[in-house]
Amino acid sequence: MNGRGHVRFEQIVKMHGNFKALKGVDFDIRPAEFFALLGPSGSGKSTTLRILAGLDAPTSGRVMIDGKDVTSADARDRDVAMVFQSYALYPHMTVFENIAFPLEMAKMAKADIAPAVQDAARKVKIEHLLERKPGQLSGGQQQRCALARAIVRRASLFLLDEPLSNLDAKLRLETRAELKKLQRSLGVTAVYVTHDQEEAMTLADRMAVFMAGEIEQIGTPAEVFTRPNSLDVAAFIGSPPMNLIPARLAGGNVIIAGQPLATTRADLSDRNVTVGIRPSALRIGPTGLPAKVDLVEDLGDSAVLDLDCAGTRVRARINHDDIPPENSSVFVTARPQDIHLFDPDTRKRI
Amino acid sequence: MTAKRLRIAAVIAISLIFILAWMFPILWSFLNSLKTDKDVLAYPPKVLFTPTLEAYRDVLFGSASILPNLVSSFIISIGTTVITMLLAVPAAYALARLRFPGKRFAGFYVLATQMLPPVGIIIPYFLVLRGIGWIDTYQGIILIYLSFSLPFAIWLLVSYFEDIPFEMEEAAYLDGASRLRTLWRIIIPQVRGGISVTVVFVFLNAWNEFLFAVVLSGNTVRPVTVAMYNFISVEQTLWTKLAAVSVLAMLPVILLGIFAQKHIVKGLTVGAVKGGGRR
Repeated sequence: MNGRGHVRFEQIVKMHGNFKALKGVDFDIRPAEFFALLGPSGSGKSTTLRILAGLDAPTSGRVMIDGKDVTSADARDRDVAMVFQSYALYPHMTVFENIAFPLEMAKMAKADIAPAVQDAARKVKIEHLLERKPGQLSGGQQQRCALARAIVRRASLFLLDEPLSNLDAKLRLETRAELKKLQRSLGVTAVYVTHDQEEAMTLADRMAVFMAGEIEQIGTPAEVFTRPNSLDVAAFIGSPPMNLIPARLAGGNVIIAGQPLATTRADLSDRNVTVGIRPSALRIGPTGLPAKVDLVEDLGDSAVLDLDCAGTRVRARINHDDIPPENSSVFVTARPQDIHLFDPDTRKRI
Repeated sequence: MTAKRLRIAAVIAISLIFILAWMFPILWSFLNSLKTDKDVLAYPPKVLFTPTLEAYRDVLFGSASILPNLVSSFIISIGTTVITMLLAVPAAYALARLRFPGKRFAGFYVLATQMLPPVGIIIPYFLVLRGIGWIDTYQGIILIYLSFSLPFAIWLLVSYFEDIPFEMEEAAYLDGASRLRTLWRIIIPQVRGGISVTVVFVFLNAWNEFLFAVVLSGNTVRPVTVAMYNFISVEQTLWTKLAAVSVLAMLPVILLGIFAQKHIVKGLTVGAVKGGGRR
């Protein structure tokens, strides 16, 4: 770990004409952290990354890297490396020349460039492709070439803009794991933009969830998953998404389909709430909410049930062993600690 | 003969007619340039004759040598091409990339200058050049040629620059390259094809230009297209010499075309950027 790569965003606002793409974003990224910017498209995560890279200037606010105000610094003076979604390889140069380009721009001695390029290529396993042109590479190989170009310079910050989205599903999983190992072994700070919550959950040490130009929540993947701050985060994280059911809170119980479910919040007075229950938190048991099994999606090791709880549609993810047949009647329940309560008006966690 | 064969035969026949129509003047000039003054006027025209290089010797090394005119043409064409490209490449890049007020209008203006009929502006041009004493000078003719070639070259190049994804440049900035260096190392190598095409067009137009040259040149600076006209007079037309000069004047253009062809590679950027950018 080199202790470099500390990032701080202070009240960053970005306007595109009259549209507020970022509405005052604050966060800190610690050195050597794998930090994910997660959110649906148009939520401002890519804008945030571009401002951090120096490709766009914020309308107001400050960007600090390692304690230095870089808000108005040029991209090339920021010591950041980036992998683009499209890879943006230079088509007229060989793989070797592509990887060597940042070193050349940094005025590294010719004799030192070749070993550095070899080393970077070895780390991403493309040392046998150095003489090829990008057009002669497969998608996965192009992606690795872009990675090598980014790591060769040992920049203090490593930015990745949806780098896996153009790979097929199998390659994406493999590369995901390698990416994480690579970041660990290099000990660099990585900022990773993605709309894929699974990618963010598996890769990130911490993540920021963007919604409509604002950060809804910052935390470790586990924190965000187990204690979502708002209805929007709750609905965005997890697959299948969290069940969100309008209900009445009364005496510490929520009443769903006429049946009470115990919560941990006996301290709250009676009110209307939106109840959030993860599909995996629902259990089938001898008592609880009566439900009819509408559809069973068998995933092999588990199954997702579409349930009808007196008119409310609920999804449950259960073990493969106890799949009820379709159209049967079951009872579902959840532990009090698995029941999340949200204010239906402010959409925030209660 | 089947219908398909008939169709192929028809296509070949029609193509041959077009090729012959296109080739005939060139071939005729070439053959005439190898004839003697007597052979060239023979009627019916002689197809079989003893070839001679006398006409070439005369026009190159004789009393009315066109060598100085060829040199003039080269200076004018190369000068026009070099200055055009030096200015057009950055201009086209700016038009394709940078956002500035009036960009749309600038693009339209560039095209609009192409729509003016040359005859309509030849007299104003003459008056302007005479006013600054640049009639019969290289700088005068090159300046006038620039007024046509520059907008044309910019307009042609812009589309090539626009084909290069933004992200490629952004990647170069992040790799530590300045804007100029990015242009030189990343962008220009990718528009090589477009630049070759533009060079050929600009050179060709300057080399072949006659109307402006005949009005704005004089005894000092006289390109070969104008000098060629001297072989046609009221008393007689020196057909063999005219043909020899024509052939000589065609050569550089043909050579340039062959040379540029190698660089006009399409699809160089294919496969470089997958998925495309967000803009």
